[in-house]
Amino acid sequence: MIVSYTRNKHLTVRDLNGSVLSRASINDTFFEAEVEVEVKVPELEILSAKGQIKRAFFPECQRAIPLLDKAVSMRVGPGITRTIKDLIGGTNGCNRLADLVFECFDAVILRFTAEQIRNNWKKPETLEEEIKMQVEYLKQNPRLLDSCIAYIEGSPFRTEGQFKKE
Amino acid sequence: MLTFSRTRLISVEPLDETTFQCHGILDDYIYNMELDVEIKLPDFKITAISGKMKRITTSECHKAVGKLKNAIGLSVLDPDFETKVKRIVGRQGCRHFADLLMEGCDSLMQLVTYVGWQQVSTKDSATKDAFWKKLLESTPRLCNSCSVYADNSPLMKKLGIKN
Repeated sequence: MIVSYTRNKHLTVRDLNGSVLSRASINDTFFEAEVEVEVKVPELEILSAKGQIKRAFFPECQRAIPLLDKAVSMRVGPGITRTIKDLIGGTNGCNRLADLVFECFDAVILRFTAEQIRNNWKKPETLEEEIKMQVEYLKQNPRLLDSCIAYIEGSPFRTEGQFKKE
Repeated sequence: MLTFSRTRLISVEPLDETTFQCHGILDDYIYNMELDVEIKLPDFKITAISGKMKRITTSECHKAVGKLKNAIGLSVLDPDFETKVKRIVGRQGCRHFADLLMEGCDSLMQLVTYVGWQQVSTKDSATKDAFWKKLLESTPRLCNSCSVYADNSPLMKKLGIKN
């Protein structure tokens, strides 16, 4: 049957001098918007946050755009999700715009993950080799413990590494 | 030069009057995966789900496909839906699958909420106002969900809706 709704979300990250520029856009059947966040590295401090709503139900939706300024000088780290939800989403703002800000943050983190994988990982020949590699990776990134099936209790990467979550 | 790029593509297809299928694809520098989820109205329960992982980072990741079935029986209308999906599909499986599932379900909710919009979007303001009033009165979860639907917003005052 013919499709009734489509959504296309696109994220990109570009390196600038001492910072990264993260862009998130959404284009769906009813709504179109984009957000651009510049983040200083390695501090992960937000230097600027801009956006535009190109298509929405109400002209009033545009009132959420200036709220993006409130993200400036925050640090992408623990607690920022709650803060952005309160400042840019909810009854004073737009949840769709806040969601694009989260997508920008996610893209920045994944940009560094991709770099780490590209530079340090080589395709393991055996499971033993992979375990050794993953145990080292978990030691460097303890926040990943219990984050997914590869890093939960019982995974070979956990069993071998004897990690304990604090 | 780009150092990271991600695309998430969702389509929603009606299978019959009360059943919808959401198809989602995630493709980025690290991962490539897709899923199909079937949701049945009026209780918006997930009745079937399947997925594929084409590009992953560890030999354990593919096991997350089997965890997708944890979502069967969940209702998108459950206020704890996101928390449950993050736990039983995300942390017990794959966070990116969980995000794709939530994106698909959110897309379906957008569709069923605003399905009548196409018929009135080019009509006069009285017809549009009647559409919004009916929608907001029949969809309480929209009220106070954003600044436009907040108590005392110009729209709510104009439509005479009090929560």
